[in-house]
Amino acid sequence: MIDTLANALGLGMHDPGFWMPLLAAALVLAVLVAGVVLDGFDIGVGCLLWRAPSAQRPRMLALLGPWRDANAFWLPLGLGLLVTAFPNAWGLIAGQVAVPLGVMVLGTLLRTVAFEWRLRAPLALQGRWVHGVALGSLLTALAHGYLLGQVVVGYQRDVAHVWFSAFMALCAVAAYGLLGATWLIMREAGALRLQAAQWGRGLVRWAAAGAAGTSVALAFSNAGVFLKWTGDEVWYTVLLLWGLMLLCFVFIEMRLQRMIMRSDRRAALPFLLAVLVLLAMLGGLAYSYFPYMVLDEMTLWDAAARPPALRLILSGVVVAMPVALIFNLWVYWGMFGLSRPPQPPPFPARPADDTPASGTEAPGISAPDASAPDASTVNELAAGVTPADPPPVKQASAG
Amino acid sequence: MARCPPEGAISGFGRPGATEMRLPRPFTPRLWPDGRTGSKLAPIMTQATVWLAQTQFYTSLGFLLVFLAFEFGLAWALCYFRVRALAGRDAAGWLAAYRYWARVFALVAVPSLMAWLPVLVQSGALWPGMPARTAEVLSPLTAVALLSLFIFKSCFQGAMLFGQRRLSETAHALVVLMVAVGVTVWSFWLLVIFSWVQAPTGAQLMEGAYLVYDWRRVVLNPALPGNAALFASASVLATAFLLMGLTAAQTLRRPAEDGGRLVCRSAAWAALISACLLVASADLAGRATAQLQPAKAAAAAGYRVSDTPGDLVLLARHPGQADTAQVGVLPRGAERWLGRDADGLRGLDEFSSMEPPVAVVFWAFRLAALFGLLLLLASVLLLWRLWRAGYDPGRLSRPGRWGLSMLTFSGWPLLLAGLAYHYFGNHPYAVQGSVTLSEVVGEAASAGLYWFSAGQLLLFALLAAGLAQLLRHGARHGVVPVARHRGRA
Repeated sequence: MIDTLANALGLGMHDPGFWMPLLAAALVLAVLVAGVVLDGFDIGVGCLLWRAPSAQRPRMLALLGPWRDANAFWLPLGLGLLVTAFPNAWGLIAGQVAVPLGVMVLGTLLRTVAFEWRLRAPLALQGRWVHGVALGSLLTALAHGYLLGQVVVGYQRDVAHVWFSAFMALCAVAAYGLLGATWLIMREAGALRLQAAQWGRGLVRWAAAGAAGTSVALAFSNAGVFLKWTGDEVWYTVLLLWGLMLLCFVFIEMRLQRMIMRSDRRAALPFLLAVLVLLAMLGGLAYSYFPYMVLDEMTLWDAAARPPALRLILSGVVVAMPVALIFNLWVYWGMFGLSRPPQPPPFPARPADDTPASGTEAPGISAPDASAPDASTVNELAAGVTPADPPPVKQASAG
Repeated sequence: MARCPPEGAISGFGRPGATEMRLPRPFTPRLWPDGRTGSKLAPIMTQATVWLAQTQFYTSLGFLLVFLAFEFGLAWALCYFRVRALAGRDAAGWLAAYRYWARVFALVAVPSLMAWLPVLVQSGALWPGMPARTAEVLSPLTAVALLSLFIFKSCFQGAMLFGQRRLSETAHALVVLMVAVGVTVWSFWLLVIFSWVQAPTGAQLMEGAYLVYDWRRVVLNPALPGNAALFASASVLATAFLLMGLTAAQTLRRPAEDGGRLVCRSAAWAALISACLLVASADLAGRATAQLQPAKAAAAAGYRVSDTPGDLVLLARHPGQADTAQVGVLPRGAERWLGRDADGLRGLDEFSSMEPPVAVVFWAFRLAALFGLLLLLASVLLLWRLWRAGYDPGRLSRPGRWGLSMLTFSGWPLLLAGLAYHYFGNHPYAVQGSVTLSEVVGEAASAGLYWFSAGQLLLFALLAAGLAQLLRHGARHGVVPVARHRGRA
């Protein structure tokens, strides 16, 4: 397939003008997928905050804490790559959807800042920043859905298409909420799991509606895509994909239903299924679009920057990506399964009489830094008082 | 206003070489033949659209600038504190200062990390014609900037804030240094981009798109030294007042500790030195502007008729117009910073409506100068008072401390006014001398875009107020430290 494509473009397989845009597009797609899945549960938990009783909210945010840095990294990276590697498509697309793009970015900004500042705010003010996280997450999810709707219908903005995009915005909130709820189910037992299962049941239908809406709109507003789907070799693959997505949704629904009835050890299944649905949908979108960047108008190769610039960008990515990825990826090892509480750091034994006032110690003696949990937390943890379910507030701002 | 400057407007510059400049081809992507593209506009709408986009982009840039300036200044201040804490007489005091201010740095670094996102997105969304014209130059620069940001952030910032226990003293000091270097590298690339659109060298406009022929000249463009010097000195000045203001606010509650005294001493000196450097770099940038953007220089001086004496006008009622009341005229005082050609000084009448909005540039420049001079004055006064008080802010008078704590954010107006002067001074060009804003601007200003601009402004104001509140609380009760356990929650 690749070589026929290269022939159609009149370029050799090894021509940098051919493979560099392809590589850049693959990178953008990979980052996009990673962002939707990994940042997705983050956004989803944020969207669910307002539905949770205020006593549960700190715990939900504390669960996100370890991945916040790494999650916040995907959207900027993907956006940066898209903007720099495909400037022609970017100029064309961004002008059409200026407002939803802006809302997405402001939502991301708000939720990141509110999340970090909540940890550093005094207890009395933390509730305010929780609202910031929730609002930011909602704005981000809405904007993602609206953008998806606009992408699917080819940036048309008459009333019907705007309503369709608005519907997609709501469905995106549901899809992210589903991802977040299933992730919470996996991470935490007890009341929060029960609640998350209930939220998930409410959201799964809307998420399915969104997936169906995307498929239908994509097929019927673009004749080329419809033709591609119903081609001789692929129509059963497409049917299979749709069947798979339907099965996933049904399974999620069933698992959630059972989870409310009784506790279950295989609590990761709904989350994995939700991820599978999202992957199937993104894969379908990518398949439908390839080799176009703007459907039927601009291919990857037209959209990409010229080879000299692209070469600079890609070489920068090749140098930088491994470093950034290693630092960001090794964080994700503990993402699955029940949450594990942090270990107290090993304090060297100190003579009882040598207790200088905090903040003015000599630098040589095990100076507790910004990350040092305060004495009470350490004692509690060391005494094993809170082995599995540490209190939310101390988690959030130990120290 | 026409979409493109008429041919006569360009040759009217009267500059040798100006006629060689090729006019860009209007950007018509031929997408959707029914004319739904964003770039086919009635020219009559363009002016309002350009101004809406300009103010929105200025808001995003301003938000980025004020937080980046604090981050830049704090990163170097922390580096200094951390190195002094390694050894020496006051090591314990410096370490305490480092710990306190590292937490403030952590507060500031978060919005600064995200604030470039609106700028990046809006640079395409508000100016959809820009990428097609300047991608060859700006895309690699943006990519390098972002990648350097990611590398330095993910490698060093976490280790600096959360890994002090696991590192040796020297290694941690090195990490803090690398964070400061990282912020500097990142700011450098942003400044390169910001300067290149003011002085597009090293690339040539061919058939409506810039092509690079010399990367060295693109990066080291002639506007860069002035802009970089202005940014660095203004950032350090703003941060010095943040350091002194917060320390003074602390002493309103309790006596100053060793760390507070040390911070005050170094911040007072840094404020004075950076204020002097700011004046010097304003001169440097002013002379570069005279060569590169003579219209901006003339607008800032309110200098209308070419080849007349270049008077320095302090205030004017209608700057740049014939019958205007002027106050504080210094004869021939502005000639050093005005553009020249073979005939003499270049006034606003040479630019045939391709000059920036005179009133905005004129007043933004005066505001920036006023704020800069006030801060210079304040830093001289403060250094004198603090020197007499043995650098103990607690020994200043109570109203003095209160006044000093009010100056915590006094660097922000300076930065914003300076940015307004530099940013709006480039109007009506997106890339100085070749690409106009009205040819790259997006679709007509819609109600949605107005609401969005208002919402963005509100959000930025709320975040700034949130930071002020967190810092005020931190001055009273100490900043809340945060632990981060990778992979555990």
